[in-house]
Amino acid sequence: MLHLPVLAVVISLLGAYLIPLIYHFRRNLASVVAVGISGLALCFSAATAVYVSRYGAFSYLLGMWSIPWGIEVYVDRMSAFMMLVISSITFLVMLYAMEDVRHELTEAPRKWYWTLNLLLLASMMGVVMAGDLFNLFVFVEISSIAACGTISVKGDRRAVEATFRYLVLSTLGSGALLLSIALLYMVTGNLNMTYISGEIQKAAFLYPKNLYAALTFMVVGFGVKSALFPLHSWLPDAHSAAPAPSSAVLSGLVVKIYIFALFQVLSRVFGPVIAGIPVETVVLLMATMAVVLGSVLAMGQKELKRMLAYSTVAQVGYVFMGLALGADRAVAGGMMHILTHALMKSSLFLAAGSVLYKTGKKNITDLAGLGPRMPVTMGVFSLAAASMIGVPLLGGFVSKWYLALGATDAGKSFYALIIIVSSFLTALYFLPPVISAFFGKQPDDSVGKGIDEAPAVMLVPMVILSIALLGVGLFPSLVLGLLGYRG
Amino acid sequence: MGIIDILYDNFHYLVACLLFLIGFHTMLTHSNLIKKIMGMNIMDTAVFLLFISSGFVRGGKAPIVGPGTEGPYVNPIPSALILTGIVIAVSITAFALSLIVTLYKQYGTLDADKIAELRTKER
Amino acid sequence: MNDMVVQIITRILIPFIEVFAVYVIFHGHISPGGSFSGGAILGASFVLATLVFGTARFNRKFGHMVSQLVESVGGSWYILVGLFGILAGANFLTNKLAGFGMGRPGYLFSAGAIPVITIGLGLKVGSTMVTLFHGLIEEEENHGDH
Repeated sequence: MLHLPVLAVVISLLGAYLIPLIYHFRRNLASVVAVGISGLALCFSAATAVYVSRYGAFSYLLGMWSIPWGIEVYVDRMSAFMMLVISSITFLVMLYAMEDVRHELTEAPRKWYWTLNLLLLASMMGVVMAGDLFNLFVFVEISSIAACGTISVKGDRRAVEATFRYLVLSTLGSGALLLSIALLYMVTGNLNMTYISGEIQKAAFLYPKNLYAALTFMVVGFGVKSALFPLHSWLPDAHSAAPAPSSAVLSGLVVKIYIFALFQVLSRVFGPVIAGIPVETVVLLMATMAVVLGSVLAMGQKELKRMLAYSTVAQVGYVFMGLALGADRAVAGGMMHILTHALMKSSLFLAAGSVLYKTGKKNITDLAGLGPRMPVTMGVFSLAAASMIGVPLLGGFVSKWYLALGATDAGKSFYALIIIVSSFLTALYFLPPVISAFFGKQPDDSVGKGIDEAPAVMLVPMVILSIALLGVGLFPSLVLGLLGYRG
Repeated sequence: MGIIDILYDNFHYLVACLLFLIGFHTMLTHSNLIKKIMGMNIMDTAVFLLFISSGFVRGGKAPIVGPGTEGPYVNPIPSALILTGIVIAVSITAFALSLIVTLYKQYGTLDADKIAELRTKER
Repeated sequence: MNDMVVQIITRILIPFIEVFAVYVIFHGHISPGGSFSGGAILGASFVLATLVFGTARFNRKFGHMVSQLVESVGGSWYILVGLFGILAGANFLTNKLAGFGMGRPGYLFSAGAIPVITIGLGLKVGSTMVTLFHGLIEEEENHGDH
């Protein structure tokens, strides 16, 4: 039973290595195997989550070497929660992608799409489970390269240029991260997170400047990778040029695990040492700018996926805000927002992908009048948009509510006001597409000649995501109980 | 003198920081795509240099245990970790170079500014 | 490359390079080296062969399917050796407690699972170097020269 988290990562890696061979012998079997493996990973993550919520956190030593000589995998409530989010959304998106890659990718790169997605799944789960800093670094690198791969697999010039910029900036982040790990190792002599936090008091007394430098580089490194406000310039191009299922995974999951990793390191490694350093203030400032300016920039976009990408910049700001405020309810709100935003953004990107699949169009104005023709797709889109705005009874409302309450708990009610203002701004750019889809018309009324709903294998994941969004909105206590938050 | 002694003891860190700045500057300011990749490599090399040279023990022997060896060994952990880091840097370089080959085939130029111009024109 | 001197010298050199690479891979657990360095040397010898003798002739001996097979099997080999530990009742990637023979330290036959994994990974890294090189070269050859 304790083997399950590591087994989830291991079978995804095994699948990633074997898929090119399987593809060579039987083409259709490869996608089925890939989806099956991600389904297995989902079952393992669910079992781990049930185990952790009943028996508490546990640590697993690879090779039976005791720490600090061995690699430790530490699974607590938040890690199990993240594993569940990652594997469930990846499973649904890969189900959608079984049909979509036939349309969006040419023949040659299809097997690499499944390989890269399985590698991304394995490395994302590895990031949230890592118990020592160097393992964290290796999995962060694997996930960056795999994420870049899932964008550039599309092959057209826009995707390749976006991938290049993402790769260069992401490597900058990795260099900064490795530098901060090197600085921490130099003064504490350990790489295991528990052991470093034991030594760091002495190190903070003897070498304070070294710790400041390590902290700065770590925030910058993870900030570049998770698109915190001034460092977000790669995100709109990368997420809008990618194939639709890749955009869903990138916006919904990949940027979030880096935020989660940053806060895990800050709380488990640095801990009380950063009490005097204004890390939270700086992060809150950048998060506020992200929330407001991301929404403002989203309003001026013409292309649907680019608007959704800028909206991700804003939502990432919400998560940073929640985790940096520090109060219990704020942290719970931030983690819930990871789940709800993953559900919402994936539904939005998958719906945009279905529209592209059926009509070949990508601008917001092309959505006019599409509602009655593609009711399920636009219904999913509208539900997710309503949830992003914060309509009650849906998941987005719950996470924003907890964020606002947490802001007042921490004594900083200004951020609650920012959350309300930005919800209003979100409505300003989400309502026009929804309204024009159901009540608008194309200028020459030509939409709908032969356009009908997307195929079932693409619709089912979207509907499941919407049902999950409704479920989180109606029964938030289930999710909060999983996170270990009472009250 | 104090400052000369400090510089002499920490010469390797100074060189590593200098290389990091050179690589960072190259990566951000030069517009040729291949120079960006070279800058990226120089930056990664600087971080590796800093990490490995922090493990040096003055008067230490190579960390291989055999009959008759004893005494302080040079720390082998940074070398092992950086080996992994070098492999990661090589994979990223290979990936970036293949992207550059595709970009050159499709845009006809290796200049990042010209490519950005062509992209805004086509959008 | 049609230069006869280069071709003859390469023909003499490549076996020595490959033997050295195999030496580095096999002795990964008792001397510096291991899978990455040995695999890089092995890949370098193949790249040298490609450069001197041309891709067409090289592809006949070491084609696309072979390298794909080596890479997939090499990666899965590591995972399967790790899974041995779980089957034996201990954790993933366990060495002595999973029943691998330990031998005498300092000799070639020692350290249980480590040489087993190193051999698989060394072959895989060598094959990856060749694949990367071929991937970059084929783009150039398909378009003639600019």
